[in-house]
Amino acid sequence: MIKLLWSGLVILQLLAGCGFDGTATRKNDFTPLTSIEIVAVSSTIAAGTSTKLTVKGNYSGLFTNDVTDQVVWSSATPGVTFTTTTNNNRVTGTNTGTVILTATVGTLTVNYTLTVSSATVSSMTITPAASTTAKGLTRQFTANGTFSDLTTQDLTFDAVWDSSDKTVATIDDPANKGLAHAVAIGTSTVSATFGSVSGITAMDVTKAALLSIAVTPNPATILTISTTKFKATGSYTDGTTPDITSLVTWSSSTPACATIIPADGLITALTQGTTTISASLETFSGTSALKVTGGNLTSITLSPSTPTLVKDTLVRVIATGTFSNSTTRDISGAVEWSLADPSKATVSKSGGNLALLSATAVTSTPTAISAKSGTVTSSTTNLTVTAPTLQALTISPVKLDLTAGTSGRFTVMANYSNGSSQEVTFSSVWASSDAAKSVVGNSGINKGRVTGIAATIVPATITASYGGKDIAAVATVAARTLNTLTISAPSASVASGNQFKYSATATYLDGAVKDVTEETVWSIDKPNVAIIADSTNQPGQVFAVDSGVATLTATFGDKSQTVTITVP
Amino acid sequence: MKQISQVIIIFSLSVLLYGQAAAQHSGPYAGAFIGGNALLNAKGADSVGNFGLSFDKALTGSAVLGWDFEPGNPAGEGRIELEYSRRSNPLNRARFAEGSFKAGGSVTADSLLVNFFGVHHDGSRFAPYIGAGVGVGRIESASLTVTGAPLANDSAVVLACQLGAGIDYALTDYLNVDLGYRFFSSSKPTFTEVNGHTFAMNYVNHTAVIGLRVGF
Repeated sequence: MIKLLWSGLVILQLLAGCGFDGTATRKNDFTPLTSIEIVAVSSTIAAGTSTKLTVKGNYSGLFTNDVTDQVVWSSATPGVTFTTTTNNNRVTGTNTGTVILTATVGTLTVNYTLTVSSATVSSMTITPAASTTAKGLTRQFTANGTFSDLTTQDLTFDAVWDSSDKTVATIDDPANKGLAHAVAIGTSTVSATFGSVSGITAMDVTKAALLSIAVTPNPATILTISTTKFKATGSYTDGTTPDITSLVTWSSSTPACATIIPADGLITALTQGTTTISASLETFSGTSALKVTGGNLTSITLSPSTPTLVKDTLVRVIATGTFSNSTTRDISGAVEWSLADPSKATVSKSGGNLALLSATAVTSTPTAISAKSGTVTSSTTNLTVTAPTLQALTISPVKLDLTAGTSGRFTVMANYSNGSSQEVTFSSVWASSDAAKSVVGNSGINKGRVTGIAATIVPATITASYGGKDIAAVATVAARTLNTLTISAPSASVASGNQFKYSATATYLDGAVKDVTEETVWSIDKPNVAIIADSTNQPGQVFAVDSGVATLTATFGDKSQTVTITVP
Repeated sequence: MKQISQVIIIFSLSVLLYGQAAAQHSGPYAGAFIGGNALLNAKGADSVGNFGLSFDKALTGSAVLGWDFEPGNPAGEGRIELEYSRRSNPLNRARFAEGSFKAGGSVTADSLLVNFFGVHHDGSRFAPYIGAGVGVGRIESASLTVTGAPLANDSAVVLACQLGAGIDYALTDYLNVDLGYRFFSSSKPTFTEVNGHTFAMNYVNHTAVIGLRVGF
């Protein structure tokens, strides 16, 4: 039975090894302090100088601890002074001779014999000599005195320190003896004076030195076939944190995933995966973890297909990418457009996802258009450019009823001699008869877009001119008080890489309801989850980036609404 | 010692040769246990830092009064009991920032727990069980010393709990041998040091027991 019990105890023995095994931080103040000992840097000092005292406590012969901070100092012999505030626990010899120092800790006392000599200082040296210190850093100097009896002694704490040019370097004497602060580029002479003897040394302060580099955003998540720019911020010895994006050298650990322009931090995401973006300068580098999501590009589809344009007109063209995760999104601004005959037409990109196809010359046979990204090229679509005679223009609607602060669009159609018709909204020149009340856009995709500025009494006439013909419509603007703002929810899947659209609707106190998607300011708090697709050309549209939850905020007038975007 | 060995051999053989089913007891029972326990290295924490306490292993004893559920009880097959136990472990070493030091005194836990054990009966004389208990404990730091200097001499009432498992062997319809393991823990007792500080320590204990339970 006993053996059975003890076999159980063997198991317990193994278990007993468990439990607290961390670092003990508490000092053992239970074991009695049985003796103390004074330790001085110098047992002999010159009159007027000092030495540091330390008291070591012995606890029952088991361990020792520094108990200097518990000591009460005294001396029955005149001739010394103790300092226990600044420059803690130093004793200064004031009269020559032998002095008995006494340290008391609790009931324990110990004596120490200190000799104060009559030696006088004859020279002094300061180390380090001719030092160089980066702006913002400190330099600790030490003063060593040579005395008339050829002894040497550390006089750092007894000397008076000074800097010849306090705009370059300062010394906080007496609080921090010998400690110089480099405050500006230049040279200052640092001096230490003891009695009538001084030592000097030059302190060169150089420009602030780099301490670290921070790369932002970190971490970052972006979609394939997109670009983003990283920022490098340096931390310098003088406490400044300038933007050093253009000074560092950028690199990507996995160029197949994302490439980066070494000079400016502009990154292009190529394939799904992760890479580390590094910014290097001197011996320092900062990094950011970049994740590329949204699937790998598998095909590109162009629209409109087989367009026919009249010479000197233009149309918006869209390249839609299909990705390996079955998502699609507009990549018009990211692809390289090419035309088989550039003398017949051009494709221009003006930022964001906007690409405009301009017909510049009549084609005898259709000319091919394609778009390419990396190794993926779209199938070609054929452009035909004709030059029929313009017969007439029509505009729709014939009247826009706007609310101040909102906009609406006119569309112009041209009818030609060959019986064809084509929208020429972007090719027309637009004008408003009362630009102070309603202004009409005249560039890019804002052509034909009328924004109400102030209430009109007489409707403004909006005129579109194209091909030597004019067509007009009217726009009225009413002043209304905004009551509520609502955001629609998208019907599309929000899988990473997908593009989906929100719209904003304003309801006014008079009951009027207006779509204000284009006038609304859209923002997202977490760009690693979702981003605004193109605030200029695709207002209200969002790209899902990576799994997470973000908040989409729509602001129009004095109203804001938020909606949660969850990317699974 | 030779006689004890003979008893164990005879007991073991009788278990092997007489391993047929016994009737399952239901109703009240009483029992007594003895065993060994190991108190894990404890962390003491006060306002000036952490320190470690390590203890010697020691014997433990307990007594129970309980009720065996009748077979087919809708609450399940098992038993509920009131257990008093006592674990007392000598303090061996105390570890501070300066190192580990010889220490003395003891930490004793007296506990009163309500246990519930689920028992698996398969018709044989062996019946494994597992269960848990909760209750209160009184933990005493009796004359704790470090290098002979007093550390604490105090006691505290704490909440206590345990997990238990083991195996019963039915000697007769009314007499069971119980070989078990208990994991015992409590909320942290707080003790006053001789210097006025108070420290809280962990109390986690492993216990192996053997005992007899007699049914009525």
